[in-house]
Amino acid sequence: MKVHVKAFATFREVMDSQLDMEFPKGATIRTLLTELTGKYEGLGELMFAAPGTLRDFVNILKNGRNVHFLAGLDTPLDDGDVIALFPPVAGG
Amino acid sequence: MLNKEQKERYRRQIAVFGEDGQEKIGKTRLLVAGAGGLGSTAALFAAMAGFGTIRIIDPDCIEETNLNRQLLYRETDIGRPKADTAAKALHAMNSSIDIVPVTAAIGTAPSRDLIRGIDVIIDGLDNYLARFLLADAAWKCGIPFIHGAVEGFYGQVCTILPKTSPCLRCIVPNPPPVRETPIIGVTTGVIGCIQVTEAIKLATGTGLPISNHLLLWDGIRQKSDRLKIERIPTCTVCGSG
Repeated sequence: MKVHVKAFATFREVMDSQLDMEFPKGATIRTLLTELTGKYEGLGELMFAAPGTLRDFVNILKNGRNVHFLAGLDTPLDDGDVIALFPPVAGG
Repeated sequence: MLNKEQKERYRRQIAVFGEDGQEKIGKTRLLVAGAGGLGSTAALFAAMAGFGTIRIIDPDCIEETNLNRQLLYRETDIGRPKADTAAKALHAMNSSIDIVPVTAAIGTAPSRDLIRGIDVIIDGLDNYLARFLLADAAWKCGIPFIHGAVEGFYGQVCTILPKTSPCLRCIVPNPPPVRETPIIGVTTGVIGCIQVTEAIKLATGTGLPISNHLLLWDGIRQKSDRLKIERIPTCTVCGSG
């Protein structure tokens, strides 16, 4: 299945702003992040507090829904998903 | 009805949205929460546009590190309260509108009191704890909340319409830790102006607000994107249960 990934804000400093990825059936957000952090140096440190532990302020949206409200890293991927990754900017 | 002076002062923008639009802006009571980078920009453009009442809230005093982006302040203002200084600067820009400075932090008084009588809120805050307090109160009171935030060359904006769009907690369920955020004036300028554009659109009924979407600005690529955001049914603020 194909998913489209979009990265925003400071994630763009370590990865492409958008890319298409292909996964086998059964892949999850965890699968996607594993591949991305393997591909882009520095991304893992931005996203994870420890191996397997996502920084809780990192936003991952699957078709507009924050995966925090779905199944977290175990949220399944579906063909055609748009996955958005961004750390919320906070300054004013 | 606009008087002769208003028709002349706002002539160039009356050509954009008509006298009726200008009257509506004049009747709109705006709260600018935070008088920093975003708040300075937003308050300045709102004053120039003729918003009839601008209430500006900030607990802090002006520091030298503010001067790279907080465009209402000068070197001679260092040490002075931001809200009062901003009000003086805004009054000098437009003495015909009502500017109400409030030196206070969100959370030191009930948020409902701070937003009483307000029609639209512009978010110029610098931390999500304060944002949530204010946005939650705005949701419960039915007041549109124009969220904005920045870091470096990046920014984000969305207009939260109570009962209609996702609330702030749907968009940012877990806030980042509080820290000194890298900020440059050109980014607060862009985002602050987008926020006032949204306020003008709401006041005049022009176009559609950026609700149900988060506008994400990238100043390096000079590009914005829109990310669709959905309401979460189980959200503690706006969820249906």
